[in-house]
Amino acid sequence: MFKDKYYSMNEEIYPGNQIINKIKSKYKYQCKRSKLKMIFSKPIIIFIVLIICSFTTTPIIAYNVPAFYELIYQISPMSAQFFMPVQESCEDNGIKMEVISTYIHDSTAEIYIALQDLRENRVDETTDLFDSYYIHCPFDTMATCKKVGFDEASKTATFLISITECDNKRITGNKITFSVNKFISGKHEYNHIPVRMDLSDIKESNSKEVSLIGGGGEKYGEYVGSNTETNNAIVSSASMDFPVKGIDFTGIGFVNNMLHVQTSVIDALNNDNHGYFYLRDENENIIESAYSFNFIENTNNGERVDYNEHVFDVSPLEIDKYSLYGTFVTSNLLTEGNWRVTFPIN
Amino acid sequence: MDKQSFTFNDCLEDVINVYANMVYRIAFSYTRDKSNADDIFQEVFFRYIRKKPIFETEEHRKAWFIRVTANCCKKMWSSAWMKKMVPLEDNIKFEMAETNNLHYELKKLPIKYRTVIHLFYYEDLSIEEISKTLKKKPSTIRTQLTRARYKLKEILKEDYDV
Repeated sequence: MFKDKYYSMNEEIYPGNQIINKIKSKYKYQCKRSKLKMIFSKPIIIFIVLIICSFTTTPIIAYNVPAFYELIYQISPMSAQFFMPVQESCEDNGIKMEVISTYIHDSTAEIYIALQDLRENRVDETTDLFDSYYIHCPFDTMATCKKVGFDEASKTATFLISITECDNKRITGNKITFSVNKFISGKHEYNHIPVRMDLSDIKESNSKEVSLIGGGGEKYGEYVGSNTETNNAIVSSASMDFPVKGIDFTGIGFVNNMLHVQTSVIDALNNDNHGYFYLRDENENIIESAYSFNFIENTNNGERVDYNEHVFDVSPLEIDKYSLYGTFVTSNLLTEGNWRVTFPIN
Repeated sequence: MDKQSFTFNDCLEDVINVYANMVYRIAFSYTRDKSNADDIFQEVFFRYIRKKPIFETEEHRKAWFIRVTANCCKKMWSSAWMKKMVPLEDNIKFEMAETNNLHYELKKLPIKYRTVIHLFYYEDLSIEEISKTLKKKPSTIRTQLTRARYKLKEILKEDYDV
């Protein structure tokens, strides 16, 4: 019977606790506003706010003092918009994400987002949203996200999201949903570290054809070609001694008289561990790789492994003049959750 | 349905407890999408908080919630925002494959019939009750229900007895 099936399907549908809590918070907020309205008359509030505005004008102050924002909001939404017109937040997994303020001008919307750990120390000064944030809005956009601040006391990292409408049209009306499903933190940087090995021992390596998922470098077009989908990579070996935790050094050798240096990262989509190599000659001159490329393989137990291979235009005859160096970034903490805020952009 | 009467100020939580699922399910039946149902659900309760409506009986309160939810659904669907929007991937998964299939098939049902079908089959409202709640003529509801059933038979074929 349709009715029975329809009934049982609907029994599985119900609102999440988060959304119900949001409504309850909104109700409490409305109650507070009503009380404030009763205590202060409009002229008094205007006078107080003008005094405060003459001393403080930054949205950050408004953010740190919610009562201040609430006071402004009593008078005029326009004034409130100037400071921080959004004040929408959500919480999941002990992490609170708040849209602090927006600034819409021409075809660009700039949005300040704060991420705060309410329970532990998972948000730190290295917190990175990498590719895990999504902007759902009714127009085609390009977006960038950069961290603009971190407050140690409140464990809050602030990000600036810049969204530009692709057609360069003025952004009007509508709303934007900003969501994040994970972020990484606890980053460690290894800057210009030497990779200790005698390069004169490096031999010709066996190679195999791999399917490329990306690549770049000054001579990528010359050696690989922009439309090529495969390239020769050295055959991976067991992980060698390497000072970077989270990145495996899986091979070094010559292929067609060019030096290949290969690393791999397990579960790269969830840690964003990455880096690059370069050579230094006897006079400390830096020789960048001619190109690099990426490919993926799966381990026997199905884990995805991302390989990165740097290729240097250096022949075996002159390799003993060089030393190998690298710069790498790894992270040791992945925090997952479902943070989603919808807010108007006008 | 709990027939006790609530006053607004001290029982918002009770109101949410009693009507949250109903509002959410109507919104979902219309949009068949969790994100949009979330938006409508919030809008309905925010209206309730803003307007602070007073009702003589719980039946009136229930009717208010159904009507406002249906209106919010229609308003959202006809907005310029919705017309430009690209739907996200399905964000709900049911326990049984058969239920998932039913969900996908119901997406094919024209929007205008979805609320009537939900109120009739899930909320167990009669045509007269639906007509009063949605403030439409009984004949309109009857016609919509007949057409909706016909469409459902076409969509679901012989899998379900509509």
